[in-house]
Amino acid sequence: MARTLRLVHLFPELLNLYADQGNLSVLSTRAKQRGIEVKILPVKLGTKLDFDQADLVLLGGGSDREQAIVGKELLAYRQDLLSAIDLGLPILAVCGGYQLLGEFYELPSGEKVPGLHLIDMTTHAGKNRLIGNIAIEWNTNAQGAVRTLVGFENHGGRTMHDYPPLGKVVKGFGNNGTDQKEGVQYKGIVGTYIHGPLLPKNPHLADHLIRNALRYRGYSDDLGDLDDRLEWEAHHSILNRMQIG
Amino acid sequence: MRIRSMIGLWLGRATKFALKISGRSGTSLPGLVAGKVAPHLLQDLMAQLTEGVIVTGTNGKTTTTALLYAFLSEEESWLTNRGGANLHQGLLATMMSTSTLSGKLRIRKAVLEVDEATLPKITAFYHPSVILVTNVLRDQLDRYGEVDETLHLLKEGTEYPGTSLITNGDDPLAMSLGISRSELTYYYGFTQVPEVTSARADVRDGAFCLLCGEELIYDYFIYGQVGAYHCPNGHFQRPVPDFGGKYDGATKQLLVEESVSKDNQVYAIASPVKGIFNQYNLLAAISAARILGKSPATIRKGIVNYEAPTGRFQVFVGTPLRTLALVKNPTGANSVLRAMEEDAGEKVLCFAINDDDADGRDVSWLWDINIEEFLPRSFCETWICTGTRGLDMALRLAYAGVDRSKINVLDKLSQLVEETSGYVLPVYILSTYTALHPLSELLRKGVTNG
Ligand SMILES: [Zn+2]
Repeated sequence: MARTLRLVHLFPELLNLYADQGNLSVLSTRAKQRGIEVKILPVKLGTKLDFDQADLVLLGGGSDREQAIVGKELLAYRQDLLSAIDLGLPILAVCGGYQLLGEFYELPSGEKVPGLHLIDMTTHAGKNRLIGNIAIEWNTNAQGAVRTLVGFENHGGRTMHDYPPLGKVVKGFGNNGTDQKEGVQYKGIVGTYIHGPLLPKNPHLADHLIRNALRYRGYSDDLGDLDDRLEWEAHHSILNRMQIG
Repeated sequence: MRIRSMIGLWLGRATKFALKISGRSGTSLPGLVAGKVAPHLLQDLMAQLTEGVIVTGTNGKTTTTALLYAFLSEEESWLTNRGGANLHQGLLATMMSTSTLSGKLRIRKAVLEVDEATLPKITAFYHPSVILVTNVLRDQLDRYGEVDETLHLLKEGTEYPGTSLITNGDDPLAMSLGISRSELTYYYGFTQVPEVTSARADVRDGAFCLLCGEELIYDYFIYGQVGAYHCPNGHFQRPVPDFGGKYDGATKQLLVEESVSKDNQVYAIASPVKGIFNQYNLLAAISAARILGKSPATIRKGIVNYEAPTGRFQVFVGTPLRTLALVKNPTGANSVLRAMEEDAGEKVLCFAINDDDADGRDVSWLWDINIEEFLPRSFCETWICTGTRGLDMALRLAYAGVDRSKINVLDKLSQLVEETSGYVLPVYILSTYTALHPLSELLRKGVTNG
């Protein structure tokens, strides 16, 4: 049976600060190369949202101003989102989109902007921004030789939660620069401060998200191998530059 | 001049001399030394200027400054910081280069390129007669945080009386700098869409009204967020330009129609530059020269003296013909790719991508370059990627749909000249800032040896 995946990109006109379409492009290209039909559904502000029509949702990062607009818009769909998350809807939330999943995030001015409160997580404003290359050890059961995830982080917020993180910080700052945790993994949610974008140099995580989406839709999650030499070379070159491994 | 400034000046000159005899000239160290010792030296030198022009903005500063310098220096001597040394120490080095031992400026007119973040620090003590803002586009994210911050710096650097502001009316962010000013504000803009430009999915940072947050409505886009826009709630719209431009690609002529002077002058200028973003730079430089009282005839004479600064479509003659172009942000890179589309022949395309501080350590902007749009018009035989982030660029190309077997990644920048020397096809090299000067050197040598 031909498999079809619907990738919903939330508000690309606002949330595209760290080249989130790079993540989208990697997901759709890698799925298509396995013969999966991909429908990318960009959702603009003001469009009615129906999470029954989504197999994977992408929530990217924007400026504080843009993020506030998005928060307001999505608040109306909080119940829908909660039910979908309960069913295991895969969501990739990056930077500002990650912060939006929590109860609130605090601006440098001290103002607390309400989040969607989909998970129990808070973000406080830090004194300085946490910027630089980051490598983490992915918290996963997935089989494969490589367990690291690499990318770039740039955030002022310090995020705290008690869920399993996406991974343990090897080098870099992660959620808050103190507890060694980076990101979140809860049901189908993958939240992270890592951009760069995230997926091109982490093909194992990209495939993990595609598998989750396939299972969520009720398909077999079989994925054939691809020629990922360039991807791994890029991945390892970051590890080398950070003097890891 | 303050005693301390004088001491700073001497120390700076001594440093320059020491570097010269040890064969290491051309660094910013003399300016750095002088500035450390004498924080007011730049102020004391600039206070002697009888005419000062500042060029700032995200993209196109260096080319616009070089063009304007060519027009202005046709009839008299002007100072300029050629080559983009646009921070405090670079400006200081430029001013020091023409001062006497007692700190008197020999040349008292200057056209200076100034970095956006440095601008308010300069205008805190010096108000130029003319300030030109080319555009306000997304720059390296980890340098400025966000576009809002850049706009804030520019506002601070342009909001005081007595200075003429010339800016791009087709760019809503640059144009917004003029809203709160009533006097001495001039806009330039294209009065004719230069080519089919609709439906381009470039980055558009200014696509929202700054006053009400509503998405701006565009009649057309020219590049990035630049085009004909208006706020649906009537807060602002593209102004009728004081200097309107029409570019004829066939004759390479820029037709300027002025509505600022009483006699509504219309004149054509032969353009020495490539790509629509550079025609904007040309129009900006012409507008500034006209505000400074230069005639179209002087501009025509001056343009002959224009030399492309390092890496601004700098051509290295030889076989192959190599062209070096600086890229530092997605809008700039998209503009360079569009200019390359004017060359509809087969070509070799190289990317030299570094991630030092001056390049921007975050390379996520590579994914905002519209490779997908460029690909069907690229006529590209081979793609070569190098620099510390060459692999990131290679992945960007691969996911845009470039055949992986046509992508060649080189470990070292220095391999680029040799790797391309076997080609007869023209070679284009797009380079970030810190790779630009080493490449320019290598290409110069490679060409003379070959
Ligand atoms: Zn408005």
